[in-house]
Amino acid sequence: MSHWVFNGIRTGIKTSAYPRRPETAAGVTPGLPRGRKLDAGEAKALMDTCPAEVFRLEDGRVLADVRRCIHCYRCMRIAPHPALWEQSYEWALQPGRETGFVSAFKKSINICVVDAGDCGSCLNEVRQLNNPYYNIHRLGFFITPTPRHADVLLVVGPVTDHMSLALQKVYNAMPTPKLVVAVGVCALSGGVFAESFACAGGVTDVLPIDVEVPGNPPPPLAIIHGLLVATGRKAPVDMPATPYQSGGSGP
Amino acid sequence: MMATSAARVFIVITGFFALCGAGVLLSLIAPRQRQGSVLAVAGCLAAAALILAGSATLILGENFRQPLWSLPNLGTMTISLDQLSAVFLLVTGLVLFPASIFAGSQLKRRSSPTGRVFTVLLLALYAAIGLIFISGDAFLFLLAWEAMSIFSYLLIVFFRKQNNDASGAGYLFLAMGEAGTLAAVLGFLLLGVNAGSLDFAAIHAAAPGFGPGVRWAVFLLSFFGFGVKAGLAPVNFWLPRAYAAASRAFVPVLAGATLNLGLYGLLRVNAGLMPATGSGPGLIALIAGTITALVGILYATTENDLKVILAHSSIENVGIVVTGFGAGMIFVGTDHPVPAAIAFVAALYHLVNHSLFKTLLFIGAGEVESQTGTRDLNKLGGLIKWMPMASLAFLVGTLSISALPPLNGFVSEWLILQTMLRSAELSSAGVKLAFSLAGAGLALTAALAVTCFVKVFAMGFLGMRRRDENPRVVEAKSGTLVPMFLLGALCLGLGLLPTYVIPALGPAVRPLAGASATDALVPPFFTSSPAHNTLPPAFVQDFQGLGAQVGQNLLPGRGLVVLHRGGAENPVIFAMSPFYMAIILVILLLATYVVIRIWLTRGRSLARRKRWDGGVRRLLPEMTYTATGFSNPVRVIFDAVFRPTAVEDTSESVTRHFRTAIRRERERTYLVDRLVFYPVRAVLMRIARTLARLHQGRLNTYAAYVLAALLLMLLGFLVFQSSW
Amino acid sequence: MALLLKEQIDKRWPDQAKCTCTGGPHLYEITCARETLAELCGWLFIDMRLKFATLVVEEASREWRLRYIFYGGAGAVWVHVLASSPCSEESFPSIVESVHAADWHEREAEDMFGLTFAGHPRLGDFILHDDAWQENVQPMRHHFDPQMAIRFRKPAADWRPHRIVQEEGAFVMPVGPKFSGATESVHFLLETVGEDVIRFTPRLFYKWRAIEKLAEAKPAGRVLLLAERFAATTAFAHGLAYCQAVERICGAEVPPRAAALRIFLAELERLRQHAGAIQEICESTALVVAASGAGIVEEDLLRISGELTGHRYLFGMLAPGGLLVDLPDLACQRALRGSQQVLRQLEKLEARLRVSSSFLDRLEEVGLVAHQVATAYGLLGPVARASADAHDLRREHPYSGYEKFQFEVPSEEEGDGYARLRVLFAECRQSVRIMEQALDTVAGGSVCRSFPFRAGAALGWAEAPRGATFHWVRLDDQGYIDRYHVTAPSFANWHGFHAAVENFAFQDFPIMLASFDLSVSEADR
Repeated sequence: MSHWVFNGIRTGIKTSAYPRRPETAAGVTPGLPRGRKLDAGEAKALMDTCPAEVFRLEDGRVLADVRRCIHCYRCMRIAPHPALWEQSYEWALQPGRETGFVSAFKKSINICVVDAGDCGSCLNEVRQLNNPYYNIHRLGFFITPTPRHADVLLVVGPVTDHMSLALQKVYNAMPTPKLVVAVGVCALSGGVFAESFACAGGVTDVLPIDVEVPGNPPPPLAIIHGLLVATGRKAPVDMPATPYQSGGSGP
Repeated sequence: MMATSAARVFIVITGFFALCGAGVLLSLIAPRQRQGSVLAVAGCLAAAALILAGSATLILGENFRQPLWSLPNLGTMTISLDQLSAVFLLVTGLVLFPASIFAGSQLKRRSSPTGRVFTVLLLALYAAIGLIFISGDAFLFLLAWEAMSIFSYLLIVFFRKQNNDASGAGYLFLAMGEAGTLAAVLGFLLLGVNAGSLDFAAIHAAAPGFGPGVRWAVFLLSFFGFGVKAGLAPVNFWLPRAYAAASRAFVPVLAGATLNLGLYGLLRVNAGLMPATGSGPGLIALIAGTITALVGILYATTENDLKVILAHSSIENVGIVVTGFGAGMIFVGTDHPVPAAIAFVAALYHLVNHSLFKTLLFIGAGEVESQTGTRDLNKLGGLIKWMPMASLAFLVGTLSISALPPLNGFVSEWLILQTMLRSAELSSAGVKLAFSLAGAGLALTAALAVTCFVKVFAMGFLGMRRRDENPRVVEAKSGTLVPMFLLGALCLGLGLLPTYVIPALGPAVRPLAGASATDALVPPFFTSSPAHNTLPPAFVQDFQGLGAQVGQNLLPGRGLVVLHRGGAENPVIFAMSPFYMAIILVILLLATYVVIRIWLTRGRSLARRKRWDGGVRRLLPEMTYTATGFSNPVRVIFDAVFRPTAVEDTSESVTRHFRTAIRRERERTYLVDRLVFYPVRAVLMRIARTLARLHQGRLNTYAAYVLAALLLMLLGFLVFQSSW
Repeated sequence: MALLLKEQIDKRWPDQAKCTCTGGPHLYEITCARETLAELCGWLFIDMRLKFATLVVEEASREWRLRYIFYGGAGAVWVHVLASSPCSEESFPSIVESVHAADWHEREAEDMFGLTFAGHPRLGDFILHDDAWQENVQPMRHHFDPQMAIRFRKPAADWRPHRIVQEEGAFVMPVGPKFSGATESVHFLLETVGEDVIRFTPRLFYKWRAIEKLAEAKPAGRVLLLAERFAATTAFAHGLAYCQAVERICGAEVPPRAAALRIFLAELERLRQHAGAIQEICESTALVVAASGAGIVEEDLLRISGELTGHRYLFGMLAPGGLLVDLPDLACQRALRGSQQVLRQLEKLEARLRVSSSFLDRLEEVGLVAHQVATAYGLLGPVARASADAHDLRREHPYSGYEKFQFEVPSEEEGDGYARLRVLFAECRQSVRIMEQALDTVAGGSVCRSFPFRAGAALGWAEAPRGATFHWVRLDDQGYIDRYHVTAPSFANWHGFHAAVENFAFQDFPIMLASFDLSVSEADR
């Protein structure tokens, strides 16, 4: 089996320099829309193209609530006055108070990942975290199969009716202190599934969220940023946010 | 002084028989509802007399001998109580005391019309067992032995209504017992003919003059004869059947007291009457013991019937004891008295331990069966929630039998494994190889025993209740709990204080081995001990640096350290002290508790959460591991031993792809049945068919023939001796 | 074949069935009496060797309309068997006796609409778990009121796992729904006596989001978002099948440039998904270097996709009528070069795996699927092709211009884990080959042609990375969805998965699961 060892060494270091330095490779993020100055008519046209109600008009400026963006790119590709697009990936927000993990947990946390009805892409991006490109072990993050060892509950998916009990069981089985990191637009607000009677409107309907990572799906770097925000090692971004309507109330 | 102490012992012994007799009489006149009390009181008093007689003999260190009657042509019938008998009397008393309480409570619970018969038979059996241990000559011994066989047989078939297989198992028990007795009788006759007397003392005196042919014949006959009773492979196929068939009030006696009789006979003849010369017989015992232990534990691990598991585990423990005996015989035969003494002490120690924890476990199993109506571990589960105290006592038993410190099973198994290491001093490479294989076999046995009893306790007492046939399972009554806790305390005591047990066993072993193991195993580290100054000062210094003198101002005796002392070049083979170990264990547990509860989690609340179930909506009892599933890896690994045959392997379906049932049934034939019992039975049956005109082909007829043959032999001996 | 089919049906069932051929050259619609349904479907499935695609149930104003769709066979035909009954009669004969592939489809229809299928031995407790919902919740019915269903929630109190193994000490080992590191939520019931899986029952639909209900009365453009996002690791293939259904209803033509680019992107997605599957197989055998190597390849392909289209999972590219945005040729060339490089990495990996005996020991003769099982269960994609069932919609029912491309449909005989792995590697090669041809032949011009909506219904299909996917769409004349029914390949493959895992030891289970490359979100919808 020695050829595997040599092969592994020969591959060299692929790991991203983030968070020490920004990642500059192409294709690591789908980007997010940004607000811009538009007059009322143009703004309405832009808002009409968006199926996810990301944009709202405030003081002659179109503001983008990126937590709702589902990456359909219609605002950029078919709107007459397209939205600006930002190829960033530091997206994580903290909706409430400081999470305040005690310092013992800053450098090494175990993450329990729960798929609460995810379409597969968020989960695939979470799986990429263990990929040599991202390798979250170097940051002290470990994915654990059991909630008993977990400090962070990472939820993807809109929380389907069938999964909500399991999600609560996982949360209850975790020791304190514990944080909930909601990853992806579905976990934040239900995304395209919010209106379904078989889904809750995101994790908020079931559990308190500590860190929100928008994106559909958020790229691995955005998830890493979310975890760094959860442990207090990076600052959250400040975004204009509007409260969600509670979903899951039926069509 | 001597005379008076011997007289006192005689009074106690007479008292024992008197108590048994009084119990029988009382039972005959007492009303049906009182039978339980009669049994408990008479049994306990008789057992107390045995304990008194045994311990008095051990403490006084004096043998006791009382001729009874002279029979024409047969010599004098003698009662003889030496140190070896005393050990067996003591352990029998310790077992019968709690077993009587339990049997009495079981009778009270049921208050059946047959309770009187049961009481009478059981007390008669006590008397027979007692008589076997104090027989001073072969005739009395065999007489008592026959009585014991018949009473045991009647007790097994006693509850035939509840147990359909009881009669078959009982006949098999009787037939095998009589076959064994026949061999034993032949062995004793050979001894008697060569020694010119049936008296044990005379045989012992004449033994050095026996030729090798006589020695081998006597060894093989007695090894087979008593091996049957002890449950040695391959003549133990009756044992699991008989134990499963016997009533739960009787099984503790069967396992705790009757089983020891075979081992007593083995030891009495091959070490007491006729010490071994050469390593041949010992080697056979060593190998047979190891194989018995392995076969026993393999079946114990993979069975699911609580009683059958315990029966196979008895076979395993007998195997361990006989391995120790075999080692001792080899050491005696090759003139290594000290290792021989160690081997005999270890084997006797394990015998005592096995009697205690097996009685405890059988009482627990009986209580479980009487409450839940089943012995199938696949249907039990979660009992600890309903009967916490009984479960705790049962747990002590499982820990002991799994040989975990600080309980007694650990000490004796450790000593036996240590004995195996002394084979380095032997010269024959073949014998050394046998020893190392036996050691490896015993180590594997010990590991499997842990698996087996983790399974028993986890599947029976932990987890979820699997079946609600009898939903009202409640805590056991005192009639069960008191015996269990008594035995549990003895298990703990014998585990903590081997340094007092080994010197007590020493005198019993000295005549067998020609040396004492006490100095080799328990060095007198306490300065108050008289032998303290015989130890080399540097040696004492080393161990006092380690704390071997701790407790010398509080406790009498030699010390608390068991130390396996070797020769000059290798003074210490292994040292341990279960007592200090237990104290440190308790301190560590307390410290851990304090550190976690008081220091690490100070200022935090303790949250209790339900078990993590993977998020499934309902975790049902059928979603938890069964006993079969738990031991399945063992079953798969040892497939070549078990050789299961597929009885049924079918799949039913509607249309082609919707299966409605997958049926699989595997039949496993007990290895000994497959290799020995069934072939022998087939041959016997064929012979029987050819002689069908004379025979009915029924097993009990054969038993009758064996009895007749026995009587003929005795008659023949009478004629033979009178003409001689 | 074409003529033969109609003639034979007319001859065999002169009064009970009527075969018409109006929808297109290869499309047959057979209107069939209810009592002949099982016989006719069995004849199509077993004698004519057609494959079963899906069962579409539609609740019309006065009647139930059931549409059993078969495809393939010697003439590469589509056969829609239509059965109907008045709304009051909710019972149909079950066809599972001969068409076992329809098993889960009938169970789904029973759960969603409350229809019963006489003769089906195991209806109920499927999508709507009995320990979560009361009886008589029929979410796909028009009059369904979710408020009532939720308010009067009353799960069955006596639910117990369905057990058929009768052996001493048999028990059910529950796995999941949350069971491993980062895995999709699904619940397994493994019946066992401790070492081998004797019977395997997947309990899916923990992730059921009811997208078919959600799509109703939504504009077609909006539903495309759902089609892309319900199973997003293969978003493009599902979106493509949906768009083709809408285009077929409206008779819309896709510009040639868009058709070629669609193929380019679909193959890019296949390559990425197969790399992910290979990564999971390597990971399940704990071969870390290989798993890392495949992981690097997967991320490379994600980055190539992200750089080319903006999105790592190719969201937001499709539109009914073409593509939402044109891709510059230069960028496509760069993506192709990247893919070729990735393929070389994969080939190196394959060569190394081929000589790693400890790896092969875990895969070879593990998770066997016999050819007969694959056909009877209607397995799809690489799983079926590894069991010598070499069907591929791109070859047999080409769409978007696949008929113009040179490629092979790899297949293997053994049906074990290693055969499935080899098929995945071989398909990666074919994908790059198709991508090369797509860029060679791509024409200029626009990438989207808008069209007016028309009322109607049609089936859209595509060969997704995991196998054939079928999207049935019924539009009203405003372009709003009346009925949307998705049949994803994992739905069929989950159905047959038990045949592969049974009678293997527990420790092989993760490997068999990985080698099947099953998606729960695809099956759950």
